[in-house]
Amino acid sequence: MTTELKQSWAGERLPIIGGLCTCLFAPVFKPGSKYFDTLLGLIAITLAFLTFSGAVLAVYYDPWHAFASVQFIDRNVHNGWLVHAYHATGTTALFGLVYLYLFRAMVTRGYRAPGELVWGLGVKLLAVLLLVGWLGFVLTGGAASYWSLFSASNGVLALSGAAGAIGNWFFGGPAGGNALARLVVFHAVLALSALVVVGVLFSARGAVAPKAERGRGVAFFPYYLSQYLAALAVFALIFSVLAFFAPHFGQPRANALPADPLTLPVAVALPWYLLPLAGVAGALPGIWGGILGVVGALAVLAALPWLDRSGPSDAKGGLYSFLTWALALDVLGLGLSCSPLLTLLLTLWYFFHFLVLTPVVTAMEAK
Amino acid sequence: MRRFFAPLLAIGLATAGTAQAEDTLSPLHFQSQGAFGSIDKAAAQRGFLVYQTVCAACHAANALHYRDLEALGLTPDQAAGIAQGVKLADGSTATLDSPFKDPAMPASAFGGALPPDLSSIVAQREHGTRYVYALLTGYTTVPDGVTMLPGHFYNAAFPGGQIAMPPPLRDNAVTYADGTAATQQQQAADVAEFLTWAADPNLSTRHQIGLRAVIFFVFLSVVAIVSKRKIWRESV
Repeated sequence: MTTELKQSWAGERLPIIGGLCTCLFAPVFKPGSKYFDTLLGLIAITLAFLTFSGAVLAVYYDPWHAFASVQFIDRNVHNGWLVHAYHATGTTALFGLVYLYLFRAMVTRGYRAPGELVWGLGVKLLAVLLLVGWLGFVLTGGAASYWSLFSASNGVLALSGAAGAIGNWFFGGPAGGNALARLVVFHAVLALSALVVVGVLFSARGAVAPKAERGRGVAFFPYYLSQYLAALAVFALIFSVLAFFAPHFGQPRANALPADPLTLPVAVALPWYLLPLAGVAGALPGIWGGILGVVGALAVLAALPWLDRSGPSDAKGGLYSFLTWALALDVLGLGLSCSPLLTLLLTLWYFFHFLVLTPVVTAMEAK
Repeated sequence: MRRFFAPLLAIGLATAGTAQAEDTLSPLHFQSQGAFGSIDKAAAQRGFLVYQTVCAACHAANALHYRDLEALGLTPDQAAGIAQGVKLADGSTATLDSPFKDPAMPASAFGGALPPDLSSIVAQREHGTRYVYALLTGYTTVPDGVTMLPGHFYNAAFPGGQIAMPPPLRDNAVTYADGTAATQQQQAADVAEFLTWAADPNLSTRHQIGLRAVIFFVFLSVVAIVSKRKIWRESV
């Protein structure tokens, strides 16, 4: 009763408050959502958290002395090490959430109509975040970062025509302070654009979310708010374990060495969240093979709603769900694989899964 | 404030002095290792003595400053005293804000192998703390069938086995103020603990805050899940 009064008084005078009250108190949500449905909310919160911690780091970061400035943050800025650990662990958490979110949509087959756009935006989010994540990794100025940037920028600069011109504009030259000085801007701008993608994703998901029958819905407050808070508390617990006890989780050890153009470390690796895609990119020869691998891997993922030929039927095929889990193992293997032959086989399976198995098996099982 | 705390710190150092009597060598263990590890300040202080007397002759640690030693339990006056004892290349003495001195060794002095900066060596190597200990105690006679490069020494812990650094530690090369016997193993263990602190000066604080955060969020998770179930039970 009181809430309705508030809504009418404040809502009349300030429509945005009225809208907020409707969001919070209107009993329009279908009961029975799973904890996993909070993943998108957690993604948004983590992304906002990364934006704030990144803004603090950006105050002290110096692209011309990248490694030294990160050391300065870790050692001499008050609680700088904590903000740095938050930013690094936030990245790990964000990619964990996004990979889990996309995998869950595949398992529940939520990408099918009318969820195609939601799925496509999810893949777009992953693509933007992979680029932002790689840029952030490069900005740390460690040895592994330097040589990753070295091969990427030199590869792109060697291209002829428009691709080379775009690459030249993006990197501003070979690896070094000049490249980092502009990549730090792209890192920030693309991270903010990821926030926009999440906003659009929320709106698209709201449009296709199943509506409650009249009189049987529940309000966000307190029902789904309590679910969000429970999910957030468990997430914060996992986050704390990582941030305080494994702040360098999934980061190559070579990055504790400063970048040195004259010294190639024994092992150059990427952070864990880039490994599967790097595996696909590395399986194909040449710089164009790498570009084709990255674009192709994300394109077939985005095309999943159309590759799935089961139509509107609710059939949940046992074989296809088994294949989806096999794909998860395949992606995991791409990240862990150390042999080029295995990487090539796993890459072939990845494309075979989407381009051949998905249409055939889903069409078979829909009958 | 500092003057007020000085007697307290002195007591702290004295207790640290008795705590070190603990034997870290048999079996070999480091207080900094493990999920709840913290820097053994007494061992790290001894390790700094070894670093300053032995390692610093050839190695720099440019990420460290003399003021940072206060985090190991030294008073500002003690740290300033240490800095004053360091002669820089231009003839002046170091201050609290100087980085650990760079001896600017030419790589040619060691057959082309430049002594690496030690600030983050523990973070750069797999199982860094144990690696440093194993390297410093790993010098052995050359096994049969191994042909040594000129100016190299055989070290079982070093990748490839041939290292350009001469065996740096000797028994009683330093004298510990707290009376610990300065055997080669003890010096190696102490300098490993010191370099662990150097690579991750916030290790103790990080683990301390982390433990509190985890306990808090375990509690919060239970409360949040229970209240969620209670709220939803009332809806139906």
